[in-house]
Amino acid sequence: MTTDAADGTAKPRVTLARVLAWWPAILLAGLALCAVLAPWLAPFDPDRQNLLARLKPPGFEARGVIFHLGSDELGRDVLSRVIYGARVSISVAVLSVLLSGIVGVAVGMAAGYMRGWVETVLMRLVDVFLSIPAILLAIITVAVLGPGFGNVIIVLALTRWPRYARVAYGQTLVIADRPFVRLSRAMGASAPRVIALHILPNIIGPLLVVATLEFGLMVLFEAGLSFLGLGVQPPTASWGSMMSTGRNYVATAWWISMFPGLALFLLVLSANLIGDRLGDRIGKG
Amino acid sequence: MLRFLLNRGGQALIAAFGVVTLVFFIQRLSGDPTALLLPETATQQDIEAMRASLGLDRALWVQYLDFLWQMARFDLGRSFVQNASVWDIILSRLPQTLQLAAGALAVALLIGLPLGLIMALTRGRAVSRWIMGLVLACQSMPTFWSGIMMILVFGVWLRWLPTSGIGTLAHLVMPSVALGLLSLATYARITRAAVVDELSRDYVRSARARGAGTGRLVRHHLLCNSMIPIITITALEISQLLAGAVIVETVFAWPGLGLLTVQSIAARDFMVVQAVVLLGAFVTIGANLAADILYSIVDPRVRLGAKS
Amino acid sequence: MNHTMKALLTGVALAVFAMPAFARDITIDLAGEPSSLDPQVQWNPDSYYVYRNIFDNLVTRSNAGEIVAEIATAWEQTSDTELTLTIREGVTFHDGTALTPEDVAFSVKRITDPAFASPQLGQFNQITGAEVVEGNKVKLTTDGPYPALLAQLVKLSIVPKAAVEAMGAEAFNASPVGSGPYKIMDWTRGVSVTLARNDGYWGTVGPFDTAVFRAVPDAATRIADLQAGTADLVVSIDSDAAAQIAGNPNIKALSAPTERVAYLGLNLDAPPFNDPEMRKAASLAIDNLGITEGLLAAGEVPVAQLASPAHFGYSPDIAPFVYDPDAARAITAARPELAATPVVFGTAPVFDQRVVQALQQMLNDVGFKVEISMTDMPTYLAAARAEDRAARPGLTFGRWSCACQDADGIAYPLLKSDSSWSRVNDPKVDALLEQARVSLDDKVRLDAYAEVAKMVRENYYVLPMYQAAVLYGAATGLTFEPTANESMFLNRMTWAE
Repeated sequence: MTTDAADGTAKPRVTLARVLAWWPAILLAGLALCAVLAPWLAPFDPDRQNLLARLKPPGFEARGVIFHLGSDELGRDVLSRVIYGARVSISVAVLSVLLSGIVGVAVGMAAGYMRGWVETVLMRLVDVFLSIPAILLAIITVAVLGPGFGNVIIVLALTRWPRYARVAYGQTLVIADRPFVRLSRAMGASAPRVIALHILPNIIGPLLVVATLEFGLMVLFEAGLSFLGLGVQPPTASWGSMMSTGRNYVATAWWISMFPGLALFLLVLSANLIGDRLGDRIGKG
Repeated sequence: MLRFLLNRGGQALIAAFGVVTLVFFIQRLSGDPTALLLPETATQQDIEAMRASLGLDRALWVQYLDFLWQMARFDLGRSFVQNASVWDIILSRLPQTLQLAAGALAVALLIGLPLGLIMALTRGRAVSRWIMGLVLACQSMPTFWSGIMMILVFGVWLRWLPTSGIGTLAHLVMPSVALGLLSLATYARITRAAVVDELSRDYVRSARARGAGTGRLVRHHLLCNSMIPIITITALEISQLLAGAVIVETVFAWPGLGLLTVQSIAARDFMVVQAVVLLGAFVTIGANLAADILYSIVDPRVRLGAKS
Repeated sequence: MNHTMKALLTGVALAVFAMPAFARDITIDLAGEPSSLDPQVQWNPDSYYVYRNIFDNLVTRSNAGEIVAEIATAWEQTSDTELTLTIREGVTFHDGTALTPEDVAFSVKRITDPAFASPQLGQFNQITGAEVVEGNKVKLTTDGPYPALLAQLVKLSIVPKAAVEAMGAEAFNASPVGSGPYKIMDWTRGVSVTLARNDGYWGTVGPFDTAVFRAVPDAATRIADLQAGTADLVVSIDSDAAAQIAGNPNIKALSAPTERVAYLGLNLDAPPFNDPEMRKAASLAIDNLGITEGLLAAGEVPVAQLASPAHFGYSPDIAPFVYDPDAARAITAARPELAATPVVFGTAPVFDQRVVQALQQMLNDVGFKVEISMTDMPTYLAAARAEDRAARPGLTFGRWSCACQDADGIAYPLLKSDSSWSRVNDPKVDALLEQARVSLDDKVRLDAYAEVAKMVRENYYVLPMYQAAVLYGAATGLTFEPTANESMFLNRMTWAE
């Protein structure tokens, strides 16, 4: 629905429907807010165990204490763990995307711009990293660097940077061949200048799409690492590690995995939808 | 093109060699299998004796040269843990992996392609957005979780499918779906993008003007021309399947290479891990090479192997 | 309906109902696949589950835990260092050849041969000689008196000399030939092992026609297999999983206390646990009953020594550990610097993470600063047995099993100062352990182990926690009595129809 502005052009009206169409972004923002405000939102200490109150269903009440979403296999409050889990899941995803993205894009742009032996060496390095099974990389990294939050991010970044490199490489090849870039180089502009002013702005679009899709994948991969015992260290809760432990209780204490699962699902889904819409916009541009 | 192929072929061999060398050394960085092969009560002497009998007490570079000599004779070695030749072990797992890969690709293609096509043909309408939401939802669950849910629902409660293991086609269904769901969204998205691209071409407009129906358009033109990016993606997805298969094979007790990889790494069964990595390296590098060639065919602006 | 139809239906009905009800197969889910079926080339529980049904051992344990005859019908300690065993007659291997004392001597020599490099060598390396005497006896010679010999012989499988030499190690591993109640029918690597009943078995013939062992790594999938009827018996489930199947009338959980002793290991070479008072504080902080009854609840028995009622050497006089978190807090409050030292709790996924996390919280509640460091098993083992003892993790949690049900198998590796596992360095303990290891007098041994247990208890060298229980899931119709040494003999099971 549009209204006519003074100059006769159509102006889209701000309606409830249009605002609601942005629900993935709103949801993502909501989850991020949850992560930031965790200490004020969570009713209990997420690591507080209570061996007498294990596996209690949602709504369970004892001595004035209510487990709104139930308690887990060590008697910890599921609601508090889900809220604090937002911090871990979101920050692991964001940081690993940033790390792998920066490294990958740098390598890809260098290979695509400079061609020659630089391209050969870098792209074969990409091949080498793509060939090493992610599992092996994860186990060896943890074995060498030790476990922990920071090292989980390094593991994820190590396994995903080649993807950014390949996309950046392909895009750089195309852009670098464009007349305006070739002109700029012919006129003597230095490589960093050309890359920063001409290449990067033109390839950033598809890369952002990749990054938002990778964000969702990082959340899932962190869950996979927890499943294999290589994720964040207990007792810290990430949604992935809660689902991994909770899958042994799916038939009886379903709440242990269902609530973090729902949160994880919404996080990844909204990231994927945003990435998809970004892709649409960039495709049109 | 021939020079390019030879060039890249040579590079591929060097890259594969580089991978295996890298894996050789980083594996040994983090311990060896002796402690796991022996009972808890083993003394330090027992461990040293076992290490010596496996040849793991020699200097690292000596072991490496021995390994290269083995490779030169196409001998993949013996597994410390399973007391069998690595070649036999891999051969026993390969059929299951191929089955799972084929099943997953079938699921991803047979569901992803049509959905992508429908989304492209109905783009702009609510239907397209709903389908996209559904497709993306498939990619929003960890596989270990969707796996155990499927086992419970279809295996335990409904008893439609077997809960684990291999044997019949029925056994292949759930693992293939679990693994294929990941790639499904990628295929759907790529197909949609490719078909949308095709739809804006002149030949489509003129065909429509001549009164050609959508069905005819799809069959004769759209699908064929959209195949190239789909093939490109398939080449890349295949190399990713091994990584995704690890969790699926663990949950469904599917005895393929993914499960073998994670178990061998956990047991520090060096020879098996090296062989699996070598196999994976050839598959990945080969797939990337194929993708690059196809990429250059699709977009002639990209010159292969150009000098700066 | 007409005559022919009726006859047909009756015939079908008769055929269906007249089918023999005792023809039964069993499917067993293991956590991993057997790495090899030659009984002497690996130390791997999954392999043992399978090959203990293919091979007979020299002696075995009854379900009650006593050592009883199997291939050896009688034995006599003919001297301090010699044990003479009488070998059973009339036993045949699966290939039809007779089992002779030569095969017994060959089996012993094979497994104790350093060139053969069996991982089990350490269990049997006290045996220096095996020879046939008097035609039907075998004399085993040990390096010094070795009271635990008979307990170790429970694990020694008899292999056929002729077949092993003819086939070679590789082929024998692929198609093992034993004398047990089941013989190998098929082995698809990575998939399953199928055994068929040996109808000519000298002892109790098994109830199942065939037995299929499958490898199912994920515990949740094993439970699903049991619920769906895909498997009749599954191993390695925990108490929460057992609670899940409690409501199902078709399946049941079986449990038994084992010879595994769960303990919390402390690093005595680094702060804070180099201070005995801090160790005492750690011991006071642990709510053993809370863990065994509140968390595990599968029949675990709290113990305060490195032995269980299933072990020879268990002393009933050791006072249980006290749970008093307030007293623990008083101790840590008096030593703020030590209490503030960060403690690394090394662990790996195979250990029960619920217990690890519960222990961490209990210790942190009284003022320690414990952080969990979970890595994979080889990394954990390398750290826990590092040369530099001070660099080892401050805490480790384990469930020790020697598979021998003798206190020597636990106390010696964990407490002897020169053992790679031990963090203890007490010459008095060393002397007692050595004395108990070589004395053939039961009373001397029991007294020595009682003294060792007392010293461990008073000095808090190690914090033993409980005797672990093992849990299996089984179909309701299966009668199976789990044993302390976690054996799974097919011919001791029955199926109720």
